Amino acid sequence: MRSSSLLLGSVLALVPLNGVLSAAALPKIDFPADSPVALLSADYGESNEAARGGALLLDFHAALSLRNSSQRKIRGITLLVSAQDVTPGGKGSVTITSLDVGPQESFPVRIDLRLLRPLQASSNVPVQIGLDGVLFDDLSFYGPDKLSSRRNMRLSEWEARRDRRYFKSVLAAGGPERLRQEMLESLTHEADRPSLDVQVVRGGRATNFEPEKQVQFAFLRLPDSPVDPVDGMARIAGNEARAPRLEVKNRSDRAIRYLEVGWILHDQTGREFLAGSVPAELNLAPGQQSRIFENATLKFPQLGAQPLAIESMTGFVSSVEFADGTLWIPTRGDLGSPQLQRVMAPSDEEQRLAQIYRKKGLSALIAELNKF
Amino acid sequence: MKHPAEAQIALFAGGDLGRWERWRVARHIGRCSECRHEAQALRDAGAQLRELAAEMPELPNGLSWNRLAQEITGNIRVGFAAGEAISLFDKPAPLKHRLGWNATLVVLGATAVFAIAFWTSLPSQQAEHLLASLKRIRAERIGTVIRSSAATPEEAVVEASSAGIQVKENGRTLSLMQPRSDGATVSVSMQGSAGVRFVDADTGQVTTNKVYYAEQ
Repeated sequence: MRSSSLLLGSVLALVPLNGVLSAAALPKIDFPADSPVALLSADYGESNEAARGGALLLDFHAALSLRNSSQRKIRGITLLVSAQDVTPGGKGSVTITSLDVGPQESFPVRIDLRLLRPLQASSNVPVQIGLDGVLFDDLSFYGPDKLSSRRNMRLSEWEARRDRRYFKSVLAAGGPERLRQEMLESLTHEADRPSLDVQVVRGGRATNFEPEKQVQFAFLRLPDSPVDPVDGMARIAGNEARAPRLEVKNRSDRAIRYLEVGWILHDQTGREFLAGSVPAELNLAPGQQSRIFENATLKFPQLGAQPLAIESMTGFVSSVEFADGTLWIPTRGDLGSPQLQRVMAPSDEEQRLAQIYRKKGLSALIAELNKF
Repeated sequence: MKHPAEAQIALFAGGDLGRWERWRVARHIGRCSECRHEAQALRDAGAQLRELAAEMPELPNGLSWNRLAQEITGNIRVGFAAGEAISLFDKPAPLKHRLGWNATLVVLGATAVFAIAFWTSLPSQQAEHLLASLKRIRAERIGTVIRSSAATPEEAVVEASSAGIQVKENGRTLSLMQPRSDGATVSVSMQGSAGVRFVDADTGQVTTNKVYYAEQ
């Protein structure tokens, strides 16, 4: 008993409980030898650790500087962050999209990571930062792709190209003033869009005592979508939505290997918000029908004093990847439908362009559009 | 030494005991001169009675003294048998208890079989609804049951808010915080990931932080 207390005491004595991180606790950054990006520098200036009751809180603030060591332009990068000792099943990732980094150019990546672990756990925190993928301007990809970064970054790049094309056409048709109007509308839309905190529990059980009911999905059918949602339902209990089941049909002439269905929830007071997405890896031949099922629970904390009570829900196909690797995303026209307009966030690229307009003005925005 | 009852000795003397009782009384008489004398006296009395009966005139209606004696002896045997049977009824009957327990077991078994059959024949959704209702009733009767994270240590939760995203597992947390940014878009996927997208106010870069949970 006494010896174990001494041992615990000596282990704790090795850990500086409040202050700057020791060198051993700093993240380990490991890129493959043939990586198209190289680490130039890593600054952990404000990183620190502090005891919180029986737990240790570690704050990592990493400012990395990476260089494009390839011969192609980089459009996106995903770094994989893992802490096996803290969350064996959990991982994190930091993705930067809409990049335009030429060969030998450098670019910054910021990672703000917080770990909470018991005090008596191992004194070293082996946080590892690795490369999951790099997307180039010709849509080629490099990396282990453990987190489906290839697809996610390609979808983002697809949306970026669609939106740049749209804003260029606005500029060409309506001139700078029309583009200004579009940017102001985008900023207003972004500010007005409802946002909600949400939890996902895989295989989660109902934790409230509200009676559960089966609720049928209503579907928003986008005219050009290669997939038709046929039927669907989920179990709703108060502020929880569980186990969505969807039936979809491939109405295109190409096989589909991945699709994502957006999920809009409506509460009893008439508010609506984009709750999440139901992704599915499948092999859907032309004309074929398939079922999607996810055994997970979405939980929404209370909105202020008023508890959220889910009343109904709407689904829509938000992205599709064909077996040949090509992608489908909704058009700007599709996104203009009143229901999607209310809940959908602007794309990565639209948000970036709107911020350029807000901070640097219209001419900077036009210059940015002309770069592509 | 315990002596047999007088009636037993009398029946023995008349040759009217059963095989087992006769052996038992004969064994006693072999060792006990008192009972042996009594039995002999009864035998002698019986012999004298039979001699007297033989000298007596015939009874009317074809009856004989011998036959009357046999009937009386038969009635005595019937009386003894009836007495033994009645004494069994007077004792507390253990059988009655056993029957009571059996009945309880049968009722319990039947209830269990019915409950299992009912539960298994219910569609899963109705079964879950019934379970939820029972939980609600329990909560109303004994108060709200709060499920602490310690009660379900195996449950991993992925959470997204405009402040950041995190994956919680066994009281440990991995969070990705977002720096000062202009607007944040939160999203979750039912496959167990949460993300927040923002435009970094310092670099102007579109950054998407995500956390994932994958069972090991």
